[in-house]
Formats: sequence, structure tokens, C-alpha cells
Amino acid sequence: MDVIRAVNLDVGYGGVPVLRCLNFTIPPGKITVVVGESGSGKSTLLKALIGLSRPLAGDVYWGEERIDYDSEHSLGALYRRIGVLYQNSALLNSLTLYENIALPIRIHRSQTPRPAEEARVHEVLWMVGLHGADEKFPYELSGGMRKRAALARAMVLEPEIVFCDEPSAGLDPLTAAGLDELLRSLQASHGMTFVAVTHELRSIGRIADRVLLLRGDGIRFNGEYRDVEASGDEYLRSFFLIKDEKP
Amino acid sequence: MKLKEDLGRFFSLLADEIFYTGRYLRKRHGVLPGAVVQQLYVMGYKSFPIVALITFLVGITISLTSAAQLELFGADIYLADLIGLAMIQELVPLMTGIMLAGKIGASITAEIATMKVMDEIDALKTMGVVPEKFLMAPRLVAITLVVPLLVAMADTVGIGGGVIVARVALGTPPGVFLREVFSVVTLGDFLTGILKTMVFGWAVVVGAGYKGFFIDRGAEGVGKATTESVVLAISLIIGLDCIFAFVLY
Repeated sequence: MDVIRAVNLDVGYGGVPVLRCLNFTIPPGKITVVVGESGSGKSTLLKALIGLSRPLAGDVYWGEERIDYDSEHSLGALYRRIGVLYQNSALLNSLTLYENIALPIRIHRSQTPRPAEEARVHEVLWMVGLHGADEKFPYELSGGMRKRAALARAMVLEPEIVFCDEPSAGLDPLTAAGLDELLRSLQASHGMTFVAVTHELRSIGRIADRVLLLRGDGIRFNGEYRDVEASGDEYLRSFFLIKDEKP
Repeated sequence: MKLKEDLGRFFSLLADEIFYTGRYLRKRHGVLPGAVVQQLYVMGYKSFPIVALITFLVGITISLTSAAQLELFGADIYLADLIGLAMIQELVPLMTGIMLAGKIGASITAEIATMKVMDEIDALKTMGVVPEKFLMAPRLVAITLVVPLLVAMADTVGIGGGVIVARVALGTPPGVFLREVFSVVTLGDFLTGILKTMVFGWAVVVGAGYKGFFIDRGAEGVGKATTESVVLAISLIIGLDCIFAFVLY
């Protein structure tokens, strides 16, 4: 069953729709990349999916369960099922890495014994290659390390899906490639589901299983990444810089 | 229209903060362990020296300017009455409130506004944390606990300034001065001073939170919000002081 299903979804700001009548699904165990030009509504869509803004119309389903954006209970349930990696990492600067990553456990599973909490935090730190850095503060880390730490925090509660907002933005090409490789290896080894919003073509090429291309006020392409090259859609081909073979 | 919207957001945040602080006090949940103690340290221990210095200097200044006038009429001893009542009822609450606005309010706004710009507030929300509770409840609890201590200290230091001036300028012995102070100042005056300062402290924290949470621009907005937070807090303090004056006197 699909993790997320959007039905006739309108999203926007201040009552003005940016994207209209979106219908799409996010399948489990795959990396879906939401792409589009600047201002195409990628971040607006992401905010609606993670419950930070209310859709203007339509519905979002998690499995069979409809998200009620007016219900604290429904949103609370949503937040327990997702992890989010923000473009700025969004680690709390006043807390150590350990405290940042342990925060979701302390909030959602406050009865967790300390040894179990420590074991889980160290496990995710190890998964993202940051073992031994748990007592550092975010400002002591490089941009790439902060992103990895934020990914560890997003994964600590074993969410059904991890959303990544511009995961490789602001990183040098090597560090960006390393982070993409990490996402890909986590998806492969743990069967994790990711939704990444990005417009970096190299990053898309490294991580995407599926592509959701936004254009105008709707979806221009929604399908497997491997099908992009075979597509005859001119806009799609020009967006992905696919050169037509000369006869 | 903008004022109406601002007032709506301010009172909405105020209601949220009251609700979430109450819920935190009942369930002790949704806030990091040790957050209140950390805020007690920042708001109390770190504010102690500046509040002491300012109230001491105000005590000395008011005493010096009043002593000369009172001496003309041979009413030297009434300096104790003036300083005792003025410090405890008015000057200590006002000066402590203004010091808290500059020191605590500005730092709360800068911290929350920066967190907002850096997506940390959104990150808290998507972790299922209520930012208004996580960030504000410990501060509201801490300011409530710290104000009585700050006021008691500031009252003592401010009156101490008066004692020194009375001794040096008028030759009034400290024992006589303090006996006169205690003959006019009641426990009710002291408690009123604490209540007023507590309300000012809450105004500072809520006003600072409001400016931090509702920053409407990027990084350049942080500085603007911080300045506005201090102005808002001082305006609230003066306004509330005026209301207290009408109600109490």
C-alpha cells in the first residue's frame, strides 16, 4: 500500500493556490524526488505533506487514514510517523548532538529507559557515520556533518517516511555526493521511504527512484526516474538536460 | 487592520502560553528536563548584578536629589519614608522590569527569531513538540520564581543607597533611618512590589516571545524584532504600571 496518497490537493499561501488538483502517491521503500523550477511550489507542497501548512482543498491519506489538519491528535499522529531533514539542518544550537537526536525520544517516548535511549541514539549516529561526535554542539560541525546529524534525528523514531528539503543544498560536490550515497544506502539496507525536494540534477540522478515534476500549477511528470530519458515530453527533457540524438 | 491583526496574534499567543504553561505544571511533559533550572540561572543569577547595580544607583540618586530639599525644611528623617516607599512600591518594580526587558526580553526574542529563521521552530513542530510550550513554559515558570528574589534583593540594595546618602549627606544614623523605613513600609507594600514586578516580568517574556515567533522577514528581521521587543516590553511595563497606579492608589 502507498505510504501517502494525495487526492485533488490544492496547496498555496494565504488562500492563493500555487498548485491545484494534485493527485499522486508515494510508494513505500523508494526515494521519490519532487523537482521543479524555483517558485514551482516544491516547498509549499512539502509543507502541506508534513503538516506545517493546511491544504486549501483536497485530502492527504496516510495509508487509509485521512489527515485532519484541524485536529491536534491527527497531526500528532502524523508527526510520530515522519522525520524531516531541513535545508538548514535545523538542529537546536543550544543542545549537543546527542541531546538533539534524543529529543524526539524524550518527547514521544518519555518512558524510554536511559540505556535504551543511548543505544538508539548511538545506533543512528553510527548509521550516518557520526559515531563519537555525540557531545559536540551543532556549531562545531561542518555543513555536511550537520546534515547527517539532522538525518539521524529524523530517523531516530524509525519513521515510516523521511522528508528531505534540499538535502544537498549548500554542500560542496563531494559532500553532497556523500550525503546522497548515505540516503541511497539507508533506503537499500533498511527499506526506508524518502521524499526529497531538490532541483540539483546530479543529486536527482544519484538518488531518485521516482520523480514528481511540478510545472505551472500542477504535475508535469509523475513516474519512474528511468522513464524520464525515454519520455518524449520536451519540457521534461530540457529540465533534465537530456540531449536529443542527432540522426 | 494591521493593529487588529497584531493584537489578535498577541492575545492568541498569550492564551497559548497560559494554557501550555498550566498544562506543563500539571503534567511535567513537553519541555526538556532541566530547562526551568537553566532559565532560573539565566534570568536570576545572571540578572542579579545589573539589577543590583541599577537599583543601588537609583537609590543614591533619588536620595541625593531629595535630601537637599528635605534638609531645607528640617525634614531630614522623611528621606527614609520617601526612599522606603518609592523604592518598594515604584522604583524597584519599574527598574527591575526595564532591566529584564533589556536583558531577558531581548535575548528571548533574538533566540526564538533566529530559531524561526533557521527552521528550528518548524523542526520542533514536525517532531511533535509545541514550540510555545517547549520554549516559553520554562521561561514563564522561571520568571515567576525568580522575581521575588530579585525584588527582595533590589529593595535591600536600593534602600541601602538611601542609608549611605542619609549617613553621609544628612548625618542620619543607619539604625534610625531603617527604623523609620520599617515604620512606614508594610508587608503589603512589599508584596505589592513583588506582584507588580511579576506582572512586568510576564509582560516581558510574553512580549519577547510574540516578537520572536512572529518575525516576518529573514535574518535581517532578527535585529529589528529584538529592538521592537525591548520597546514593546518597556511600553507594556509603563502601561501596566499606570493601571496599577489607578487600581492601587
